[in-house]
Amino acid sequence: MIRREIALEVNGRSVHASVEPRQSLADYLRDGLDLTATHLGCEHGVCGACTLLLDGEPVRGCITLAVAAEGRRVDTLEAFDEDPLMNLLRQAFSEHHGLQCGFCTPGMLLMARDIILSDRVASDAELRVALSGNICRCTGYAGILRAISAAREAWQARPHAATGPA
Amino acid sequence: MGGEGSGFGIGDAVRRKEDRRHLFGRGQFTADLRIPRLQEVAFLRSPIAHGRIRAIHVPEGLRDRVVLAGDLRGARSIRAVTDAPGFNAADFPLLASDKVLFVGQPVAMCLAPSRAEAEDIAQAIDLEIDELPAVVDMEAAVRPDAPLLHEGWGRNVFLTREFEAGDLERARAEAAVTIERTYRLNRQAGVSMEGRAILAHWDDRLDELVVWNSTQMPHQVRYALALHLDLDEHRIRVVAPDVGGGFGLKNIVYPEEIAVAALAAQVRQPLRWIEDRREHFLASIHCRETLYNVTAFATAEGRLLGVDVTVQVDAGAYATWPNGPNMELGMAIKNVPGPYRLEAYRARGWTAATNKAPIGPYRGVARPGACFCIERTIDEIARAVGREPHEVRMENMVRPDQMPYRSLTNMLYDNGDYAESVRIAADLVDVASVRARQAQGEADGRLIGVGFAAYTEQTAHGCGEWITRGVPIIPGYESCTARLMSDGSLQLLVGIQSHGQGLETTLAQVAHHELGVPFERISVRHGDSALSPFGMGTFASRSMVMAGGAVARASRMLAARIRPIAAQLLQCTPDAITLRDGAAHGPQGSVDFAEIGRVAYVRQEGLPRDAAPTLDVTATYSPEIDTGVFCYSTHAAVVAVDPGTGTVEILDYAVVEDCGTIVNPMIVDGQIVGGVAQGIGNALYEEIPYDTSGQPLATTLADYLLPGAPAIPGIKIAHMCTPAEHTEYGMKGMGEGGAISPPAAIANALRDALADTGAELCETPMTPRRVLAAILAAESRIHAREAAE
Repeated sequence: MIRREIALEVNGRSVHASVEPRQSLADYLRDGLDLTATHLGCEHGVCGACTLLLDGEPVRGCITLAVAAEGRRVDTLEAFDEDPLMNLLRQAFSEHHGLQCGFCTPGMLLMARDIILSDRVASDAELRVALSGNICRCTGYAGILRAISAAREAWQARPHAATGPA
Repeated sequence: MGGEGSGFGIGDAVRRKEDRRHLFGRGQFTADLRIPRLQEVAFLRSPIAHGRIRAIHVPEGLRDRVVLAGDLRGARSIRAVTDAPGFNAADFPLLASDKVLFVGQPVAMCLAPSRAEAEDIAQAIDLEIDELPAVVDMEAAVRPDAPLLHEGWGRNVFLTREFEAGDLERARAEAAVTIERTYRLNRQAGVSMEGRAILAHWDDRLDELVVWNSTQMPHQVRYALALHLDLDEHRIRVVAPDVGGGFGLKNIVYPEEIAVAALAAQVRQPLRWIEDRREHFLASIHCRETLYNVTAFATAEGRLLGVDVTVQVDAGAYATWPNGPNMELGMAIKNVPGPYRLEAYRARGWTAATNKAPIGPYRGVARPGACFCIERTIDEIARAVGREPHEVRMENMVRPDQMPYRSLTNMLYDNGDYAESVRIAADLVDVASVRARQAQGEADGRLIGVGFAAYTEQTAHGCGEWITRGVPIIPGYESCTARLMSDGSLQLLVGIQSHGQGLETTLAQVAHHELGVPFERISVRHGDSALSPFGMGTFASRSMVMAGGAVARASRMLAARIRPIAAQLLQCTPDAITLRDGAAHGPQGSVDFAEIGRVAYVRQEGLPRDAAPTLDVTATYSPEIDTGVFCYSTHAAVVAVDPGTGTVEILDYAVVEDCGTIVNPMIVDGQIVGGVAQGIGNALYEEIPYDTSGQPLATTLADYLLPGAPAIPGIKIAHMCTPAEHTEYGMKGMGEGGAISPPAAIANALRDALADTGAELCETPMTPRRVLAAILAAESRIHAREAAE
């Protein structure tokens, strides 16, 4: 079996690993590092449950190869325990019933955080499109959309919103 | 009551206890479990729909990594036998060794340290199958010349049913209007975001098999494993950890699960199988595939006189455990009359076996089809007599003064005002303004329409109802152990399973309401057969009524034990004690639950002479009637359709619903919207077509479309509240209902939008291709008529 040595940064820590070239980043994180917040819903890049950040950009962990993360920064939901925006999202998801079974939730949260930080949606319709790569089978999206809107408002209304770092 | 006014009792939108772990990515799904020496399982599956296995060549050196049917010891094939008259039973082998009957049927298990390596092994096996003609179409399947799936059956039919009540010939004779239609709901899948999953290992210390299983019914799985393996039930523990959605498809025990559990017990090796998405589409149960041929008779005013219906169900190849394909047909026949007064009804039908994946229960079970059948038909009657469909609907519905109303099919509608739900729904979507907008026309050339669909949903039905369905397991009760701890905190151990319904929260609300133990000091434990008393699980819109009832009863039993202890400590009589705010209050003072718990467990010298130590009670609960309590609802949809492309947009959607007393309105509304979203998928997107050789044509999320956020509009919800008379607090079940009406409401809205063309949508999903085909068919009918004139 061919293996490749890789070095990357995962949730702020340097990691060295020997992986099969075919192994997905999501499988490596889950099986190699026991980081199980990254869920696998389809393993072909459609459902978005495995959304994680690669150099700060949301990607599908299931169709990104671990070897493609060589020298790069990977962040999973486990990196955001103390993140102020993520905590606003958590509170909003709970208040607005943005989750039921919880399986799609980690991917939703990472995508929602990126949507708010990038400030790329101005309307409800745009928010729906921005979220269209993350499938939820339980909620019908109503609570998720309300939660993201509420968190976005709270984030924009925070003190020093105009100058504060993300 | 102890919890009134606290904000955490019955009727309060309490935030869920289960949210925190998921929001931090610390949910514990079966694939997240870690256990030493674990081997992953990949199944080799049949690529052929119908054939005879000639040989299975396992490469030299891999034989000890591959398990074939003959290698499994002490494990029996699944044989779901129901009491339905004339039911044809057939073994569903754990691993096929002789014939294969559908694409995706498990043939071999391959074991390796990682799933990827296990799949490599599966790929290296050479499976030789002599192909037989595949039976793919349910109508062709029952013809005498069709190849037989199960030799010895005579015909590819699992069961037939017939029902007749009232005078249909009189209805036919009196009818001013006769409507004949064929409706088809195509095959789809349940698609929980987490697929099926099982991890099984032998615990040497306890000398028992431990099975972690993504299931809606851990106790039933334990029962099923004892039935299918050579193991006493006391040596089996089944745990459902976090379960990523179920919707019915995890209310089944499948061959893969029994095979993994059997092998783990046999080889004493921890094994895990995690279903991937393709396997889900191939071999988890499918659903919905039914064909209705209906003739309805009505007066010139639109009064429904009689309905004559033939129902055909395509059940796929095998019967799964416990209920097989038994329920679809019976429930379809029972539910076609819906919320309407009907005096003559004849129904007959059969459930065909085909070379496709087995069908099973999926949210709504049969009722989306039954609703489609009657609700599309009511609209056609209204059009034939030139009236507004929602008004014809209201006039035909069972009236409040007729309640309780026994339907022709022997369902006891307990209470409510069905017509009022239609009226409110019509207000919510503002029918008058839709009509005005239609008269004006759309600038973009699209056509607008409004449609309605109502249903009445039997929920939380008990023993007697299940017996009429002929099922082998009667889920007529639920159970709860309530345990006030030595520090005054409370544990509730329940036999249901919660996989998104929020029962860790709502059951705690019930106990808080009864006992006044602070909400945050109550924990609900479910999903573990070793912890809780036997319970049936979460399905059939039953858990809040059934388990909520068990929690209420157990809480009251606990209160009856607490009062004498408190009375002793407070020097008063037990009936002078009230329980609230985490304490027992007497005329002269109070004692908190921590002190009562301390006395009951570790300072029993403080107990009254005749009081037993500990505070730990178990209750079971069944509603007072076993015919169920009926939640009802009317959905109204406003759609825009592009007659050039056939694309449909939902402009407005309203749900008016009566589920009796609501425990947590946030969760109830979440269930409604989630159900509607699945119903919209059913209506517009989701389908697994098969080709003529029995190959499924949608096995990825690229070919099987699930509704994303842009596809689901904001849903308006209005509640009516008619408390049930036969359940605790007046609760009715409601979990499935949202998924029942959308196909019919949207089809009726399309019918309305396309009224000028005469096009009708009589088949789900209503894809752009089907919408265009309906328009073209209507046009060609018009042309043919013109040519004839």
